[in-house]
Amino acid sequence: MNAAIEKPESSAAKLTMLLAGVVILLMMALGLIMRATQGNLIQLDPALFYQIMTAHGAGMVGAAALTGAAILWYFVGRYVELIEGIYWAFLGLFLLGVVLILGGIFIGGYGGGWTFLFPLPAISGGAWTSSAAASFILGYISIGVGFLLYYLEVGRKLISKYGGISGALAWPLAFGSGKPEDAPPPTIVAAMATTIFNTIGIVVGAAVLISSLVNLLMPEFAVNALLAKNMTYFFGHVFINASIYMAVIAVYEIIPEYTGKPWKTSRAFALSWSAILLLVMIVYPHHLLQDTVMPAWALVMGQIISYLSGIPLLAVTAFSLCVYLRGSNIRWDLASALLVLGVAGWSVGSAPAIIDGMISVNKLMHNTLWVPGHFHIYLILGEVAMAFGFMAWLVKDARATGLAGMDRVAFWLYLLGGAGFTLMFLISGALSIPRRWAVHVPEWFLQDRIAAAFGALVVLAALFFVSNYARGLGKSRSS
Amino acid sequence: MQLTVLVVTLLFMGIIAAYFIAAVQASDAPQSEINFDARRSRLIWSLLAFGAVVTVASLWSWPHAVRTTSDVVTVNATGYQWYWEIDKESVPVGKPVVFNVHTADVTHGIGIVDPNGRLLVQTQAMPGYVNRVEHVFETAGLHKVICLEFCGIGHHDMVSEFNVVSKQVVRR
Repeated sequence: MNAAIEKPESSAAKLTMLLAGVVILLMMALGLIMRATQGNLIQLDPALFYQIMTAHGAGMVGAAALTGAAILWYFVGRYVELIEGIYWAFLGLFLLGVVLILGGIFIGGYGGGWTFLFPLPAISGGAWTSSAAASFILGYISIGVGFLLYYLEVGRKLISKYGGISGALAWPLAFGSGKPEDAPPPTIVAAMATTIFNTIGIVVGAAVLISSLVNLLMPEFAVNALLAKNMTYFFGHVFINASIYMAVIAVYEIIPEYTGKPWKTSRAFALSWSAILLLVMIVYPHHLLQDTVMPAWALVMGQIISYLSGIPLLAVTAFSLCVYLRGSNIRWDLASALLVLGVAGWSVGSAPAIIDGMISVNKLMHNTLWVPGHFHIYLILGEVAMAFGFMAWLVKDARATGLAGMDRVAFWLYLLGGAGFTLMFLISGALSIPRRWAVHVPEWFLQDRIAAAFGALVVLAALFFVSNYARGLGKSRSS
Repeated sequence: MQLTVLVVTLLFMGIIAAYFIAAVQASDAPQSEINFDARRSRLIWSLLAFGAVVTVASLWSWPHAVRTTSDVVTVNATGYQWYWEIDKESVPVGKPVVFNVHTADVTHGIGIVDPNGRLLVQTQAMPGYVNRVEHVFETAGLHKVICLEFCGIGHHDMVSEFNVVSKQVVRR
C-alpha cells in the first residue's frame, strides 16, 4: 500500500504498536527482574517486588489487549469505514488508564496484583492506601470505557454491513444453507465474535470494579467474595483471551500475502468461531477449581469446557494453518515467521492449560509456577509473537526481504528464550514451587536462574524487534 | 503425580509442535491430494472421544469428596495477613484428615507440602465461606502449610508447620 494514500487506521495502528511494543519491552524487563530476584541474583524489597508484579501483570494484559485492538481495527478497516475519532478516544482513555494505574502502583504503593481480588485492594495490611487502590481501579475503568466505545463502533458497523450479528458471524453458512462465497471474510467473523464476548466481559469487569471502588470508599458496603471472584475471573479470562482472538486476525490477513492463497471462511471456520463465542464465556470456572464451595456442576463444567475450548484451536485454527502451509511456497521473513510461531505457540500452550483444567491435577498445580508457565507460552510464543509479526509486517517495505541476518538470529533467540523460559515455569510448577512469591528458598534458585537466563534472551530479541520497528517507521516516514 | 503430569504435558506439547514443524517443512513440497476435511473430522471425533474417556475417568470419584465417617480427623485452619492459625499440631498417617479452611481477612490459599517439598493438596480460603478438603497422609514427618493465593506483601511469609505422625504416636 502506498504510504501517500494510507488509510487513517494505518497511522493509528502504527503509533499504537510502537507504544505497545515499548510497554511490552518494559514489562518483559520487569519480568526478568522478578525472576532474577527470586533466584537471589538481585535483592528487592518484597513490597516493591509485588508492585512490580502488579505492574507486570496489568501492563502485559493491557499491552496484549492494545496490540489485539490495533490489529483488529487495522484490518476491519479494510472492509468497513470506521470513525477514526473513536479510536483516538479509545487510545486516549487507555493512556489515561495507564497513568492512573502506574500512579496507583508506584506513587501510591498499590501491589494487590492485576486481578484486584476482592477484598485485597481494601485490606492491604498497611501496604497501600485506599486512594492508591482507587487510582488503580479507576485506571482499569478508564481502559474499559475506552474498549466499550471501540467495540460499539466496530460492532455497529459490522452489524449494519453484514446483515446483523448472525450475518457477521456467518451463521447462514454455519447452520443453514449459506454458501462460503457469500460469507463474510474471516476477519469479520473473528471481529464480530470478539466484539460480543469482550463487551460482555468488560461490562461484568466494570461491575466488579465499581463494587470494589464503592467498598474502598465505604467499607460497610460488602460484596460477596465468591461472587466477586466469579466476576473477576470471568472478566479476566475473557479479556486476555480476546487479545489473542483479536491478534489472530493478523494471521488471516497477512499470511495470504506470503502465499498468494486467500484465507476463506469455510463452514468449519464459521462453526468454530460460534463455538469459541460460547466456550470462552463459560469456561472461566476452571479458575475456581479450588473453591470447594462452588457448585460441583460449575467445576465440572470448568473442566469439560477447558478441554472443549482446545478443539476449535487445535482442530480448526492450528489444523487449518498447517494444511494451508503445506505446499504453499510461503515466503519466510520475520513477519510471516513470527505470525506462524504465534499460532504454534498458542496451540502448544493449550496442552498445559487443558491439563491444569482437570480438577485432580489442579489440586496439585494451581497457583504453582505451572500456571504462569501455560499463560507465558500463550503470550510470549503466542499473542506477543503475533503482535511482533504484525509490527514487522507494518514496516516490511523498509526492511530487507527474507528471514536472514539479524532477523533470523533474533527470531531463533526469541523462540529459544521463550521456550526455555516457559519450560522452566512448567518444571518449577511440577516441583511444587508456588507462584507470586517475592522470596524463594535456596532449593528453587537454580530453576529461577536458568529461567532468568532464558528470559534475558527473550528481552534481547524483543529489544531487536521493537527497535527495528521504530527504525522502520522512521525510514518509511522519511521516504 | 506431578512428574507424570509434566511428562504427559510435554508429550502433548511435543506432538503439537511436531505437527507445526512438519507443516513448515512441507511448505515448499508439492500440493497434497489428501482429503484434509475428512482428516479434520477424524481429528475432532478422536479428540471428543478421548476427552469423554478422560472426563469420566477423572471425575468418576469426585476429586473434592470429603468423608464424614467417624475416623475422620478434622483440622480447622484460618488464614490471616500473614500467618496461619491451625488448631492441631499433629495428625495421623493413614487416616482421612479434613481441613476446614477459613480466612479472617482476604482470600488466601492453603497448600500442604510434604517433607520433600511436594505439594500434596490445596484449597482456597474465601472470606465468608469454609472450603473443605480431605487428604490421607501416607508418610510421617514435618509438613508445611503455605499460602497459594496472593494476599499482600507478606504472602510468601505465610508458612506454618504441623506433624504427621504414625498412629501409635497419636494414641500415646
